[in-house]
Amino acid sequence: MLSLISYLRTAIPTYAMPVALLIVIGLFGALAPVFLTPANFTAIIYQMSITGIMAVCMTFVIMTGGIDLSVGPVLATSGLVVFFLLHIAHFPLFPAVVLGILTGAVTGAISGLVIALFSLPAMIVTLGMLSIVRGSALLAGGPDLHLVREQPGFEFIGNGFLFGIPFAIWIFVAVSLLLIFIQKRTTFGLQVAAVGDNERAAYLSGRRVKLVKMMTYVICGMGAALAGIIQSSQVHTAAATYGEFGTELDVIAAVVLGGASLLGGKGSVARTILGVLFLAVLNNGFNILNVPIDYQLIIKGGIIVIALSLTEWANSKVA
Amino acid sequence: MSKQILLEGRKLSKTFGRFVALQETDFAIHAGEVHGLCGSNGAGKSTLIKILTGAHRPTGGEVHVNGTLAPAGSPLAMLELGVACIYQHSNLIPALTVLDNVFLGRPPKTKLGFIDATEQRRKAEALLEKYNIDLDLDAQVSTLATVKQKEVEILKALALDAQVILMDEPTAWLSHSEVRKLHDTIARLRALGVGLVYISHVLDEVFQVCDAVTVMRDGAVVWNGSIDEITRPELVDRMVGNDLGEASRSVAAEPRHPKGTGEILLSARDLGMTNTFEDISFDLYKGEILCLTGLIGSKRTELLHSIFGSAKFSAGTLDVLGRSVRYSSPSEAIAAGIGFVPEDRLRDGLLLDHSVSDNLIFAALDKVSRWGFWNNRAVRELTERQIRDLNVKPADGSKIVKRLSGGNQQKVLLGKWLEIEPKILFLDEPTVGVDVGAKAEIYAILRKLRAQGTAILLVSSDMEEVMAIADRIAVMVSGRMTMTCAADDITQEELVLQISGGNK
Repeated sequence: MLSLISYLRTAIPTYAMPVALLIVIGLFGALAPVFLTPANFTAIIYQMSITGIMAVCMTFVIMTGGIDLSVGPVLATSGLVVFFLLHIAHFPLFPAVVLGILTGAVTGAISGLVIALFSLPAMIVTLGMLSIVRGSALLAGGPDLHLVREQPGFEFIGNGFLFGIPFAIWIFVAVSLLLIFIQKRTTFGLQVAAVGDNERAAYLSGRRVKLVKMMTYVICGMGAALAGIIQSSQVHTAAATYGEFGTELDVIAAVVLGGASLLGGKGSVARTILGVLFLAVLNNGFNILNVPIDYQLIIKGGIIVIALSLTEWANSKVA
Repeated sequence: MSKQILLEGRKLSKTFGRFVALQETDFAIHAGEVHGLCGSNGAGKSTLIKILTGAHRPTGGEVHVNGTLAPAGSPLAMLELGVACIYQHSNLIPALTVLDNVFLGRPPKTKLGFIDATEQRRKAEALLEKYNIDLDLDAQVSTLATVKQKEVEILKALALDAQVILMDEPTAWLSHSEVRKLHDTIARLRALGVGLVYISHVLDEVFQVCDAVTVMRDGAVVWNGSIDEITRPELVDRMVGNDLGEASRSVAAEPRHPKGTGEILLSARDLGMTNTFEDISFDLYKGEILCLTGLIGSKRTELLHSIFGSAKFSAGTLDVLGRSVRYSSPSEAIAAGIGFVPEDRLRDGLLLDHSVSDNLIFAALDKVSRWGFWNNRAVRELTERQIRDLNVKPADGSKIVKRLSGGNQQKVLLGKWLEIEPKILFLDEPTVGVDVGAKAEIYAILRKLRAQGTAILLVSSDMEEVMAIADRIAVMVSGRMTMTCAADDITQEELVLQISGGNK
């Protein structure tokens, strides 16, 4: 019995999420057969691509022991920036999108710089950034929706299909693969985890800890900006109010469900994708089953807390 | 003097994995007695103290207070039984007043549950009078001199009705006149029947204030008795051990190389850091081991960090490999060929949640990557080479470092720095908490490096270690370098004297 418990403990961090995912899929499939159709799976992945891109890009930030609460307003801002560039400045599509993503890089760089240089808590700095970016977006864009018209290239980003699969999914897959590559195949990947594990040891080993930290926020900002462009394209509008309160919490929940520790050190881009998938499956299944939104929220919150408690329990005893 | 036993440890043992920190140790403190506890670092003193205060649960044996069995491993229970400990580092809250600190956490309360300020003050004043301590109860702790802060801690212990007070290196941060004041206070406590344990490396102090003394070595008591029954050289002998450990014996046989090849690789002149150290001048030669020794708090670690770029010196000049330098970060020092095995391997050295391999490559990423992309074969080869050369056990590069023994962790940390192929290597207490076998292996590696022409600057408080592997020895006392000489020109007894600042 004891050995079974200790075996479960060691197994939880690795297998709990995939197993839970299979159980939930099985459950929804049994209750509503339509859930198991390929079309529905495509829909799930399409729905998760925006949160997914933000989550994989936030994984590094959380692995360093940081957090970025400003992704919602950054998402809104990049949509606005691209709208202005396309409609008012009449930029071609490609540079407009690149500059839109760059907005995210800049806001991320500012947060990262302040956090790294002055050793301030990321929670506070990005909370401030959340307010500053939202305010700036409202200042520039006002409270109105801005319709994006007659921009077939732009509309393709969020609504087009490539080889029968939505283009947004391709983007999500490409970003995920890129980040998995960075994590597994570059020294930067190790340095990110090392900063979260023991920042002082990393510094004393000659690593440029502040630069590494700052770069993670740049990546996170770029992810949020890209997500903003996709969302803008999907709904044909840009607005300063997009990425409302709660966006960042979904993203963080996904990363943490993927096994990343908010204390830093642990985390994996690939597992973050599992976390996003898990939340997306829950949303989709609840909607198919017509579960009212209030119950959805309560059940989702409960599952997140239980999942994290289990992981904590497993980690604390094995360590 | 009453001879009632206040606190007694019976056959106390403590093991950490396979490492035996304490074996079957008996220890007793009588009322009205100041009991000295002596031994080198790693002798088991702090383990014993931690068991007596309940911070550690012993693997075997019992703790008795006033003749009754005390619950094991409960700091709160030991406090309630009247056993208090004053640690080297202050446990006070600097922003609060003396009075608030003394009753912190357990103030006298009124019937409504609020803090009873009048009663609090009355109690404190009674204690001050009884023990003849001079303290301003309303002063903010941060404004007090260090010795006064120690007295606040003593008062805090007395407010808990402490019968036994353990003091761990209480004078490490005190000046000479302050030490005398503290000793006066201790004498008054003793006269009123408190039992005190006095841990100190400074033998002068032990002979000044202690009535009895217990000497520990390698986790066991090797001598105890009245202070009148032992002379100072005998005490040193007992601390050090007549038979040097296996590790140092093999090493001690080797010839020394003072000043190595004669080529100076690092030269410090009048280095100073405000309020920390001053006027530090020394040369480090190619192919020598220079041991920098001294007491805890003599600022040796701070000196190393200031050279390495992880802290800044505020005065003086530093030449490394013939160039005047002042590193603003460790990465610059590393680029110049300096490696640094820091003192606290858990806090400053290792990525505990990472693998042996990740740790080994971490200071030399350029060697195993190109344009930031891993060269997996180079990573594997480096890992295998270091594991083989350092005899890391288990020989598995994917093993998480946290799960290794202290000795193996230290080897991994050393291996990380060997990979930058340092021309100059700093090591800060590299064998603390390392078992004898691993110690011998680490010494062998250092000797090999020396033979290859590395200049080694080793900080150590372990006299046995210093005498065994040093080519030259430098001593720091309270932020000053008071002596530098060839290791053959000094005996261990003279060295112990030098370290405690006694120039007799």
